[in-house]
Amino acid sequence: MSVKVAAQNTHLLEVKLKSEFTDAEGVAALALLREQGLSSLKEVRTGRLYEIAGALTANQAQQAGKDLLCDAVTQEFRMVPAGAAPMNGMNFWRVEVWLKPTVSDPVGETVMTALAEAGLPRPSSAREGHLYLLNGRALRAQIEKAFSKSLANPLIHRVVVTEAHP
Amino acid sequence: MSTLAESSVDSLPISGKSAKELRAFGAQRHLSLSDTEWAAIQAHFKSLKREPSLAELETIAQTWSEHCKHKTFTSPIKYTEGRKTRSIKNLFAETIVAATESVKKPWCLSLFKDNAGVVAFGKKWALAMKVETHNHPSALEPYGGAATGVGGVVRDILGVGLGAKPVLNTDTFCFGRPDYKGALPEGAHHPTRTLRGVVAGVRDYGNRMGIPTAGGGIWFDDDYRLNPLVFCGTVGIMPQWAVKKEVRPGDLIVAVGGRTGRDGLHGATFSSANLGADAPSSAVQIGHAIQEKRVLDALLAARDKKLYGSVTDCGAGGFSSAIGELGADCGARVRLEQAPLKVSDLDSWEIWLSESQERMVLAVAPKALKALEAVFLAEGCELAVLGEFTKTGRLQVVHHERTVVDLDMKFLHKGLPRVEREASWTPVAAAKPAGGVTKKMGDAIREMVGHLNVCSREWVIRQYDHEVQGGTIVKPLQGVRHDGPGDACVIWPHAATGDMTDFSAFAVGHGLNPDYGRIDPYWMALAAVDEALRNLTCVGADPARAALLDNFCWASPEDPKQLGALIRAAEGCRDAAKGFSAPFISGKDSMFNQSKDEKGKDLAIPGTLLISAVAPVPDGRKAVTMDFKGVGNALYLIGRTNDELGGSLYFKTLGRTGGEVPKVSPAAAIDGFKALHAAMTRGHVLSAHDLSEGGLALCAVEMGFTGEFGCLLDLDEVPRDPRIYSNETLLFSESPSRILVEVDPKNESAFLRHFGKSAKSAMVRRVGQTTANPILKVTGLEGSTILEESLKELKEKWQTALPKVLG
Repeated sequence: MSVKVAAQNTHLLEVKLKSEFTDAEGVAALALLREQGLSSLKEVRTGRLYEIAGALTANQAQQAGKDLLCDAVTQEFRMVPAGAAPMNGMNFWRVEVWLKPTVSDPVGETVMTALAEAGLPRPSSAREGHLYLLNGRALRAQIEKAFSKSLANPLIHRVVVTEAHP
Repeated sequence: MSTLAESSVDSLPISGKSAKELRAFGAQRHLSLSDTEWAAIQAHFKSLKREPSLAELETIAQTWSEHCKHKTFTSPIKYTEGRKTRSIKNLFAETIVAATESVKKPWCLSLFKDNAGVVAFGKKWALAMKVETHNHPSALEPYGGAATGVGGVVRDILGVGLGAKPVLNTDTFCFGRPDYKGALPEGAHHPTRTLRGVVAGVRDYGNRMGIPTAGGGIWFDDDYRLNPLVFCGTVGIMPQWAVKKEVRPGDLIVAVGGRTGRDGLHGATFSSANLGADAPSSAVQIGHAIQEKRVLDALLAARDKKLYGSVTDCGAGGFSSAIGELGADCGARVRLEQAPLKVSDLDSWEIWLSESQERMVLAVAPKALKALEAVFLAEGCELAVLGEFTKTGRLQVVHHERTVVDLDMKFLHKGLPRVEREASWTPVAAAKPAGGVTKKMGDAIREMVGHLNVCSREWVIRQYDHEVQGGTIVKPLQGVRHDGPGDACVIWPHAATGDMTDFSAFAVGHGLNPDYGRIDPYWMALAAVDEALRNLTCVGADPARAALLDNFCWASPEDPKQLGALIRAAEGCRDAAKGFSAPFISGKDSMFNQSKDEKGKDLAIPGTLLISAVAPVPDGRKAVTMDFKGVGNALYLIGRTNDELGGSLYFKTLGRTGGEVPKVSPAAAIDGFKALHAAMTRGHVLSAHDLSEGGLALCAVEMGFTGEFGCLLDLDEVPRDPRIYSNETLLFSESPSRILVEVDPKNESAFLRHFGKSAKSAMVRRVGQTTANPILKVTGLEGSTILEESLKELKEKWQTALPKVLG
């Protein structure tokens, strides 16, 4: 079993389309989630998450996000601070879908190589996750069930559902 | 994870253990060994006076798995058919191999022994083809399972001979109906989700590797809802000198490609078991197409510099089967600490058996190593020397000076105890058609074009890049609007050969119809071969040069009835190969495709046989598509129509059962195909389309709406069994070996000359002509118009059926 790397060396980067662009992946995800019974969902926006562990400083992670993981024209990125997201009722949810540690992550592997090629320290691990920001009334259990039947496969994915600000 | 990640065990006491204890141990470690196999292992280690290590047990279990050793096809069977009982020593040798040997084709360059079958393509080149199934992984994780299925079959093509360049991917799927509304057991995916995931997986892997996905099909039947079938095929092209491979003692064992991780443990043994809720998550992986593309580019560059003597892919069983197979005739010594790892805490047996994707193993002469390293480095592809091939006849694996495997190759590859299984088949007399409702012909046609097994697959096909490499001459979607159903694809592999003046191309076609198998698997097999060959013939491929591949997907062979049906199908393949004089060059089987349904009852798939066929198209510029090309052209029907509506789409639409299953006469069929091919090479054919599900009616409808012309058919002219008095039978019978052909009136006599004297008899006859108005108009036996249908309306039904159920 891989050991969790100490928190100060792990950076979580979030890359999303800027809000002025139509999120086609989000539209498709919304249709799939509605099919699974989340009929009150109004919108889904998607993004990518990168969990990078190793010798990178916060500044270097910032640079990786800006130069490598994000298309500055259409996308924006942020470093996600550790700790729970602030809560805001039942209308906004943040769902993260990660591959389990036993499953290979080709995108993560590519990110590791790309960081090294960009002159940054080679991370000890990099994993890619999918982010879904849901807008609409739903219950945590409903969301978990709907995801397990559409956008995530419990066999290989770990799904993290948290309440979130829009 | 705890049971998989536990620390290495140097020796495991198995001597003196009872069968029950061993079974429990095997189940805990997903070893899928039978009691007899356990006994053979016990006896072997007793004779060695020691206990096996965990890595040794795992190696044996992998090597002896159904996936690697095809136990069902190679073990003795006591077969009862009706009242007669006979014994079959080796079903594979007695059917597929025997038929192939009897047809003796000098253009077959490598059969059954390598990772794919190889046939000559012109004087310099060879075509390699392989079709694999990835059913169990795709049932658990449709996207990852299908993608790694494509990755695996592409590596088979890289690992055949000294490596071939992939130029075509094909995909054929069997799913439950997407509109399935019933209950599903815990953990099973809905057929719609499986379909979406599988298509996305095939799409992403093939598109990212730059290989066109241009052939295949989909069959829907609710009995596949728990066990979807995913057949991935690849065709590669290689120079003929690269077909032979050889491992010499002293050669280095070199691993290239991806790193080894904990992913993908137990894929092979997993395929020997029924699908249940306790599947290990490590049996499923996410493919890395870009990594495999690097391996492909580096490997082919190294091949052309002749830097290695042999190659094979790391498939099921990982290093253990790849190195075990390469060194089967000599021996191998492996040092596991040399393997590049994804994570550092891997146990010896995990490194040895991991099925991490995108890896290949080469046998390299020591003096070529430096040059090889340079080639792989240039592609950014990792390479590691894992040991060397020896003369000892032993498989020896060392990890940090500690021996973890020391096995006799003979025991490993020949020691598998064969258990005699029982099989039975009860011939059923054809039942009289019964039940169902009567429908007007027009209503039936409208329903049939919108049937899921007939309707447009554009939603799927458009996701695949079928044009990459620029050689797809006949595309999967055809006609004036590029949306009609092609019979087969034609590929001109100029990007691989680099020769823009040689127009030799090849075509790949498929045949599959499990509904016929429900009545008689023997006739299903013949019909599948016939369908694959007539699809090839329709696009201009030479039917006399066709090579076949078989893929059997069956439920548990431990059920005598299932095994009996499998034998019937294998014997059908044998007779088809002999009858059509077409050799089998490769094949694969997938057993145990059954699962517990929501009520805990076993749900078996219908016995399914996919026949894939590949044949050269002598001149790609003369390839033919299926859409009507103009007004006033003559329509000829090749082949005789019999009253064969058993298992047909028409009966399914009416809800009727019984009837005769279509029966193939290979000799008459191949004569018709050859004559048509001769006519095509002289340019006498404007379009051709095969008659399959829905018979003559649907064939004419599809040709019409794809070309946007109509046609007039006279059923009285249809070459037929004289005992047929029914218009419906003539329109909807699914008699095999029939092709509808459009001929320019000025070429009619030249066209007919190819059919010799028989042209005036039953084999080919003019049955109508094309018209400007896009309407299907049919004159019945009694001489009056019995049907007049707008093709535009039918096309809309045909096109919208699949998107509608997928939402």
